[in-house]
Amino acid sequence: MIGILDYVWLVPLAPVLCFVIAGFFGKKTPQGGGYIAIAGALIAFIIAALASYDYFTSDYYANNIAYTVEMEWMAVGEFSINFGVYIDTLSCIMMLFASFISTLIFIYSIGYMDDQGVKKTRYYAEVSLFLTGMLGLAVSSNYLEMFVFWEVMGLCSYLLIGFWSFTHPEGDEAAFRASSAAKKAFLVTRLGDVCLMAGLFVLLHLFGSLDYADIFNFDIATVDSNMLMVAILLMFAGVVGKSAQFPLHDWLPDAMAGPTTVSALIHAATMVKAGIYLVARSYPIFIHCTDAMIIVAVIGGVTAIYTASMALNNMNIKRVLAYSTLSQLGYMVLALGAGAYLMSLGIEEGEPELMLLGGAGYAAGIFHMINHAFFKALLFLCSGSVIHAVGTEDMRMMGGLRTKMPITAYTMLIGSLSIAGIPILSGFWSKDLVLEAAFAPFHHGLGAGSIFMVLFILGMITAFMTAFYMFRMWFMTFCGEPRGHCHGESPKPMTVPLCILAVFAVISGLFVVFDGSYYILESLRTTIDTVIPFHTGMEIVEEIFTAIPTYVALVLAVVGIGIAWKLYVKTPYDAEAFKPENHGALYNFNAKRHYFPELYNWISWKFGAGVAKGVNALDVHVVDGTVNGLSNAVVGGGEGLSAVQTGYVRDYAGLVAVGVISILAVFCLIFLYGGGF
Amino acid sequence: MIDISFFLVFSAILFGIGMFGLISSKRGLVTLMSIELMLNAANINFVAFASYGGHTDGMVFVIFTIAIAAAEVAVGIALMLNAYKIQKTTEVDKLSTMRW
Amino acid sequence: MDIPILSLLVIIPLIGALATLFMGGQRAEKAKYVAVAFSAIVLALALYVTFVGYNNMADLADLKESYVWFKAAGLQMNIIFAIDGLSILMVLLTAILVFLVVIFSWHEEDKPNYYHALLLAMEVGLMGVYMAQDFFLFYIMWEVTLIPMYFMISWYGGPRRHYSAIKFFIYTHVASVIMLIGIFAVVFQTQIGAEYISFAFEAVRNGATLAPAFQTFFFGLLFFGFAVKMPVPPFHTWLPDAHVEAPTGGSVLLAGVMLKMGSYGIIRVCLDSAIFPDAMAFWQPIMIGLGIFAMVYGAYACIAQNDLKKMVAYSSISHMGMVLVGMGCNSVIGIEFAIFQMFAHGIISGVLFMVCGIAGHNFGTRDMRLLGGLAGKFPVYALFMMFGFMASLGLPGLMGFIAEFGLLFGLWEYLVSQGLEVLIVFGLLDMMLTAGYYLWAMQKTLFGKLTDKIDLTHCHDIAKNEVAVLAVLCALIALFGIWPTLALDFVMPFAGAF
Repeated sequence: MIGILDYVWLVPLAPVLCFVIAGFFGKKTPQGGGYIAIAGALIAFIIAALASYDYFTSDYYANNIAYTVEMEWMAVGEFSINFGVYIDTLSCIMMLFASFISTLIFIYSIGYMDDQGVKKTRYYAEVSLFLTGMLGLAVSSNYLEMFVFWEVMGLCSYLLIGFWSFTHPEGDEAAFRASSAAKKAFLVTRLGDVCLMAGLFVLLHLFGSLDYADIFNFDIATVDSNMLMVAILLMFAGVVGKSAQFPLHDWLPDAMAGPTTVSALIHAATMVKAGIYLVARSYPIFIHCTDAMIIVAVIGGVTAIYTASMALNNMNIKRVLAYSTLSQLGYMVLALGAGAYLMSLGIEEGEPELMLLGGAGYAAGIFHMINHAFFKALLFLCSGSVIHAVGTEDMRMMGGLRTKMPITAYTMLIGSLSIAGIPILSGFWSKDLVLEAAFAPFHHGLGAGSIFMVLFILGMITAFMTAFYMFRMWFMTFCGEPRGHCHGESPKPMTVPLCILAVFAVISGLFVVFDGSYYILESLRTTIDTVIPFHTGMEIVEEIFTAIPTYVALVLAVVGIGIAWKLYVKTPYDAEAFKPENHGALYNFNAKRHYFPELYNWISWKFGAGVAKGVNALDVHVVDGTVNGLSNAVVGGGEGLSAVQTGYVRDYAGLVAVGVISILAVFCLIFLYGGGF
Repeated sequence: MIDISFFLVFSAILFGIGMFGLISSKRGLVTLMSIELMLNAANINFVAFASYGGHTDGMVFVIFTIAIAAAEVAVGIALMLNAYKIQKTTEVDKLSTMRW
Repeated sequence: MDIPILSLLVIIPLIGALATLFMGGQRAEKAKYVAVAFSAIVLALALYVTFVGYNNMADLADLKESYVWFKAAGLQMNIIFAIDGLSILMVLLTAILVFLVVIFSWHEEDKPNYYHALLLAMEVGLMGVYMAQDFFLFYIMWEVTLIPMYFMISWYGGPRRHYSAIKFFIYTHVASVIMLIGIFAVVFQTQIGAEYISFAFEAVRNGATLAPAFQTFFFGLLFFGFAVKMPVPPFHTWLPDAHVEAPTGGSVLLAGVMLKMGSYGIIRVCLDSAIFPDAMAFWQPIMIGLGIFAMVYGAYACIAQNDLKKMVAYSSISHMGMVLVGMGCNSVIGIEFAIFQMFAHGIISGVLFMVCGIAGHNFGTRDMRLLGGLAGKFPVYALFMMFGFMASLGLPGLMGFIAEFGLLFGLWEYLVSQGLEVLIVFGLLDMMLTAGYYLWAMQKTLFGKLTDKIDLTHCHDIAKNEVAVLAVLCALIALFGIWPTLALDFVMPFAGAF
């Protein structure tokens, strides 16, 4: 205990202060506030590291209690919504890797964004706010607070994807595309977000609180299980939006319109990881709904293979990486879903074996998220380095860059090997654990085993595809004859982060050997009463290397790399074959993303603008028409009656007399027929 | 004693004559006289009720009415005289220069 | 010595209005200094009152002032001013907005003395409405707000200003006359047999209980009167016209505080369970239904607009629909956040209408089809526009989100109690649509290619006084978004009684 834990709220506060400072005064500092942003991220990382150390050495950790400090934020009727920090291993992991990778990306930005002039200030302010969103999300102590930061990230992704939505260096058309992409990202994730918000309503209704501590300690058996299932599915819809799962995945490829560093930030450190975090964080309630978990796993598995297929023939280096992110996110969701399914059955039946496997699935999902953060940050920054040197994102214009930019080439090779699942590198370990989790339900003959078997096979095919398209990308970029112009290797601020990330892409997988899953599972031990068994690192290693699927996956990966080599290195480059008109229907179908953008457009035009036009017409013609018609009727009637106004006093007097007499007559009649007083 | 209904009927007839004169005549002086008749019909009612009811309130009002009627006739006849001087007529329909 | 602070809140702007009104000719240029001085004094008093309430809400009761105005012929009308948890935020909002509008309109050149006189006259009426504790005074003040706004639109408005001003006046006046019928019926019926029929709220609340059928009917009349002011579709069509033609300052006050009179009246009178204990049984589903309809209908209408200001006007309808939903819930949460939303929408719509107004007078048009790519050339303008739009679409961390979350949660609780959970979909649809039209509007006006359809060569970014005003409003939006308890603490003692 060194007391830093009590100051852990400084972790999100440091970058938000930098956001303010860089935003207001960034123009006056060197690099438009770049150093301020780096300082903020670095301070956040240091405090996060110290606080994590503090937590691991504290009594909280020893007794499996989460560190919680809260104060009241607002009262919603009789409910009280709090604001505070909640630290367990999951929060520690999230804030550590987010701040660390962001620091590297910000350093890299110094080189990458150097030529952007006054726009840099805006960039550094916005990325600082982005990091705030992620770190705030990681330390939040309740769902609403988390939702606030969740949406702050949504705003920042909107701003950064649309970074060039005006005065784009490539012209007005590109600016328009950037603004469309930004809008699409915000709206599609917003669809998930409103569902998540509805999920929070249900949670608040069921549990009377949104605090993690209160909800996880609640006796869930007393809760209406249908309502709980609705809540879980709504929250998962939020995840589908934010982590870009099928069918809301289509915003992520478009989001490549922003600077490459922003893509790295979104894909590795922030934004899409938030969805995974939400699933992991909500495990204690998710595991009470076995059926919903099957849906979660299916969505994950489908996303993994579906989006991997779109990467197979893409010519844009950033798009390929975007699809690979989608596919890897699918893996994470698959692992978490399968783990929750196993664990829920295990707890229900008191079966330690299933609980162990469930815990392994949970650990696999988190573990893959960490590894993916490292190698995907690496890959994106490498692609940024390539784009910086070549000036285009089209891989048909690259080739043979290996000799001209060796550092970029070889660090990217490490990243590609890692994501393809070559042993010892980080991707290998976590991918195998993910597939193992997907395989387990079938292996143990559980109810939904056959579904999971299909998902397992899909995962295997995805592994093959991943290896193929990653190496297709690497070969097209770095091997063969040069097909375009190249400035040479990127400056130091860009290559140094690449090297650091490459080291982590190699070694971060070894975390599991040193009992990584034990530490990861600590987060569950603080919230679930039942003792969850776990495997030690050595047991896991033994398991991985004795299981047949490991070797099948390995063979598939090697075959994938081989095919890529055969197609893109062995065969000489044929420019004719890459012309758009020389492609078959399937190719075009895939390149058009299976017409998903058209589907989104169709829905938004039909149910947005189409209905809006109808409503507007109704408003102008019917509603306002009635009002104006009524007033015209009154005016017209008045004009008709004004004929009585002759201006002759005599006539008026006559009318008065007639009026008086008729009133008198009425009274007399009432008097006569009413029978007197 | 005479029944009060006689007074009321008499007053109603007087009022009716006044009303008829007001509506039917175009001549200004006749209009003024008609108004005078209607006022006096009201006065008769006042006096009759006062005398039968035993208060003096009605009588007081009659004094007021007579005073106002006198003033009104003075103003009215002055108007008519001036109108005749300028327009050479006292027919109210023709005195329409100030009408909208 | 007791200073009659609440009376001063009404009297000072009245003096200011008269003073500026007679500053014709050469002195017209100086009218703005007078106006800013008077509105600053009012703001200071309002802040003082807020501060008193912040220390202890119970102390606000000591500020109450009560005078007999007219007591004859069996009637008693009083001048009673009081402030409670419902009105304190509205009084503060009025004082803030009027002060800022005066500064925002610093460069008004067309008869500035009348302009400022109208602003201050409106403040008189608004303060009166929000503090009156007597039905007759309430009605008088209600009408007092109407007349300056009529002149504001018909003197300073756009090309169709006469049509819009007349429409605004007649539409809302008809509604308030119907409301007056309701007021008379309720006042007379509750005090049958009293020696003097008193119009004071207190007397009505302590009076005889009304028959349920009577309550239902006259609740309806009062509700109609208030609902037109809010406005609730289908009685809303005066609003877009009035906003489109009104000058910026008028729009800000119209959307910011005058629409709130409607919802204020509903909470103050219709939802008062001492007056109408039984009427809600009939009206609650109707209010909820109308509120949901207003939310979705307003949002859809926004999408189809091309005029920036008209879009914002329809978004007001959508947001006030949300307030109606909260009031319809008739629960602690509903009322709490309905009041908060009234406050939040007042401030946010101030930003929105100012931004639209700047588009009109700086760029010469508010038509989104003609604008485009402004962010590159006018970054400060783009920043404020984005901030306002984001606040209005309910971005967490800003004020609109807190209100939206609370109101939709209140709706959810009500729907659960009725077994109609599915209807929450409309609330979510509204949130989606809101995001949709704001983002679309931003894309059309701020991003892409710098427009060549209008001549922007001589256009400048926004003026210093406008930046100052917008910055203050944005700071308030962020402050109450991050620290909502600051405002909710005022509301809770009042809402807690529901």
